[in-house]
Amino acid sequence: MKKCKRIFIYTFLSIATIVSIFPFLWMISSMTNQSVDVTRGRLLPGTHLFENVKKLFETVDIVPALVNSGIIAVVTTFLTLFIASLAGYGFEIHRSKGKDIVFNIVLLTMMIPFAAIMVPLYRLFGGITDTMPFFGIDTLAAAILPTVTTAFFIFFFRQNTKMFSRDLIEAGRIDGLSEWGIFLRIYVPTMKTTYAAAAIIAFMNSWNNYLWPLVILQSPEKRTIPLLISNLGSSYSPDYGMIMTAIVIATLPTALVFFFMQKHFVAGMMGSVKG
Amino acid sequence: MKKYVWIVLMSIGWLVLVACSSGEETNNSSNEGTTEYEETNAITAWAWDPAFNIAALEHAKEAYSGDYDVVIVENAQDDIIQKLNTGLSSGTTKGMPNIVLIEDYRAQSFLQAYPDAFHPLTDVINTDEFADYKTATTSLDGKQYGVPFDSGVAGLYVRTDFLEEAGYTVEDVSNITWAEYIEIGKDVKEATGKNMLTLDPNDLGQIRMMMQSNGSWYVKEDGSTPHISENESLKKAFEVYKGMMDADIAKIVSDWSQFVGAFNSGDVASVPTGNWITPSVKQAAEQSGKWAVVPIPRLDMEGAVNASNLGGSSWYVLNVEGKEQAADFLANTFGSNVELYQTLVQEVGAVGTYSPATEGDAYAVEDEFFGGEQIVSKFSEWTDDIPGVNYGQHTYAIEDIIVTGMQDYLNGTELSQVLENAQSQAEAQLK
Amino acid sequence: MGQQLINKEHITHKRSMKAFIRKHIGWLFIIVSVLAIGLFYFYPMIEAFLLSFQSGAGASLKYVGFDNWMRLFGDPSFLAALINTSIYLLVQVPVMIVLALIFSVLLNDPTLKFRGFFRTAIFLPCVTSLVAYSVIFKYLFGVDGIVNHFLLNVGAISESINFLADPIWAKIIIILAITWRWTGYNMIFYLSSLQNVDHSIYEAARIDGANAFQQFFQITIPLLKPIILFTSITSTIGTLQLFDEVMNITQGGPGNATLSISQYIYNLSFEYTPDFGYAATVSYVIVILIVFLSIIQFKVAGDKK
Repeated sequence: MKKCKRIFIYTFLSIATIVSIFPFLWMISSMTNQSVDVTRGRLLPGTHLFENVKKLFETVDIVPALVNSGIIAVVTTFLTLFIASLAGYGFEIHRSKGKDIVFNIVLLTMMIPFAAIMVPLYRLFGGITDTMPFFGIDTLAAAILPTVTTAFFIFFFRQNTKMFSRDLIEAGRIDGLSEWGIFLRIYVPTMKTTYAAAAIIAFMNSWNNYLWPLVILQSPEKRTIPLLISNLGSSYSPDYGMIMTAIVIATLPTALVFFFMQKHFVAGMMGSVKG
Repeated sequence: MKKYVWIVLMSIGWLVLVACSSGEETNNSSNEGTTEYEETNAITAWAWDPAFNIAALEHAKEAYSGDYDVVIVENAQDDIIQKLNTGLSSGTTKGMPNIVLIEDYRAQSFLQAYPDAFHPLTDVINTDEFADYKTATTSLDGKQYGVPFDSGVAGLYVRTDFLEEAGYTVEDVSNITWAEYIEIGKDVKEATGKNMLTLDPNDLGQIRMMMQSNGSWYVKEDGSTPHISENESLKKAFEVYKGMMDADIAKIVSDWSQFVGAFNSGDVASVPTGNWITPSVKQAAEQSGKWAVVPIPRLDMEGAVNASNLGGSSWYVLNVEGKEQAADFLANTFGSNVELYQTLVQEVGAVGTYSPATEGDAYAVEDEFFGGEQIVSKFSEWTDDIPGVNYGQHTYAIEDIIVTGMQDYLNGTELSQVLENAQSQAEAQLK
Repeated sequence: MGQQLINKEHITHKRSMKAFIRKHIGWLFIIVSVLAIGLFYFYPMIEAFLLSFQSGAGASLKYVGFDNWMRLFGDPSFLAALINTSIYLLVQVPVMIVLALIFSVLLNDPTLKFRGFFRTAIFLPCVTSLVAYSVIFKYLFGVDGIVNHFLLNVGAISESINFLADPIWAKIIIILAITWRWTGYNMIFYLSSLQNVDHSIYEAARIDGANAFQQFFQITIPLLKPIILFTSITSTIGTLQLFDEVMNITQGGPGNATLSISQYIYNLSFEYTPDFGYAATVSYVIVILIVFLSIIQFKVAGDKK
């Protein structure tokens, strides 16, 4: 009976795995094929890997784009985690009527499509370009700033804080910790897996972000990876083998971040951490 | 516990460092950017295809003898549209280029939506020297705003081997009507099992080409009144489209890679499209010698010609600092340089619309892939015959309505009904 | 005597100071976020709201009062987008949430082998580039695609189905695509929250004789309620703002059969002659819908206000 159940679970997960990674495998296979074969829908790996990689590095500046994306994603992830967890903690633990109203307004900003606020936001950055050039249009700082504080992560941390035991806070207060100390020494370590999940998502969102970097970054040397890939695909006769190579390279960092972060998702962590 | 505090503190410290250094970096480079501009008068140009219009810009830059440095920036076409719209509508010209390439179908939309954003080039180029059909789309209220670039002149790319199998010669498919094309298509399918062409239900390029071959468009000459329910050319084009579907000679594709894939893998016997597809056709090197290019079929009605256009784009100068330099650059390159156009044909395969250039040697070169034919010279010859139409500013908005209408029509709704619905919907939407 | 009084006063003062700090220190935790959100989201949002009462091409906008809002009701493209989006929402969000929950519970089992591999595999779709997966989906479901080949071979169908050209099939494919891409993403939130659940609760339940299903419904679901609420609201938002899948797989076609509200906003802003005013109006329809649905979800989840 129990064995049956196990077999069923493994079969189910294996099917899900195959469905999930099939396009990923095709992507990897395509990076070894030439463009003509990719458009013909060839599934098997070919022999053009080296050629595609060489072409890619010769035709576009992929390394600077990786560096830009890397800087933006890492800075965004750290700032997001820090700011959003502070806010999520503050909204839930130090709950008050006033803060609840503010929280609802914060939530509201999550609901408008980004395309609708893009023009006013661009105008905002255009307005400060002269006075504060390092935050203005065409700077990495401008690409980062609006994306670090999002209602999404504040909401995420607040919902997780609801599962955080208040006893730990009281214990901290009795131990004479300051409010800040409680956050830093009790909350942060206890919520490690929440931070891990938020880090994965924040990194991925930032790494893949398209619309905002597209409009705010102008010079080619500041281009991020998604913008670079978008360029590759827009020619009248796109080289799909090369595009797939670029895509695989662009996908790896997020996959790796996930793989290393998910190790923190170990069941029953809670019991082992004491404040 | 202490460990975590340290981790947090160190990350914050690291973060501040990174933020500062990257801030500094961007600060420096933006400073450099401005000083560079002041000292050397650099102008920026945006285009989208490295193998085509970007390459053309590079050659133009080489051919240009002025004192200004030209910075060429590659952006995807959709990206250019988004950047331009965001920038121009926010009223900040910062970060905008001096020169930008805009697809002809969209030109009027930009010119009318942002009236002061573009710099007129009436005195810069001589419009009489360019193909007639280009003028209507690149000017507004009598002022010339664009320097015409590539010709989107259409041709019918055919597989001679498939035709032969079905008992046809290249002459048999030259200068024919779409009705004849369908008949040939049936025979080809019977003899070879291959479809005659690909159709993408979401992209009505075929309809656009058919309409223009009879000097007609989705809008009337004013560029804004929808011209659908009483448009005989459109009606005819719809019938041809359905004829192709009914005759079962079309392979349905749903995106560009499948479109290219179909003729690369030899699944279709012909490709009726713009001349810019040549590099993609030649991509399948093993098909060399099996292709020919003939004039695009015409609609079976009075006034229709065997010449049309699909796509094509032109250069525009934005009304920002450096506009005189930008205009000067265009005037001395794409606006008058016959030699440059020879290079473009030879090196890039771009067929221009500058008439004096067509006499050059490069246009007469023979292409082995197409059985040794002078395809460039053919294309530029047909360019002169393309009927001029005012694309207006609603091509894509109306086309989305037409796409829905086409589905209804294919599913059995009566044509006049379909077009009337589309007409009233377009009128309601384009106030 | 006097000295004592002062001391007492000092102490109460100190105490009230402390109470005051404790009462208001919460604002310090949220102040950075509130300012940033206010500047980068709320202020542009108000501008967009004002924009929704204007109309015109590109930069030449004029105030038109409620014209844009009236225009919505007679706009067939908008109505089609609204209906499509509602269908996506009703079918896709519940399926995805349940699937993600099941995956996370299965993959949380410490005795399961290859956990890291399975987790990574199921997460991969949301990392896989959009370009790649749109090409793949179009190939899979093309007229001579793999799915058709398979169905023809097993004899399930006698003639190829043109999935992407059929209004109903195209919608199903969009739903499949969203589910495929975002299930692993939602799984992360559950997986991470499951770690915060004390394992001894399960031990206790097992001793009491609760089977796996009972454990799932009586322990896991109630404990994860805040996160389930979070994922349902964010998925609702994601679906109402759905753009990538539609844009890359069907471009809204055939006809308007798969058009989403967000893609319509994109078309109004960039694909057609831009009318940012009307686009803002359509955006606010999304806001209103989400506010409405979120209130319902908060109520259903019994989140005390």
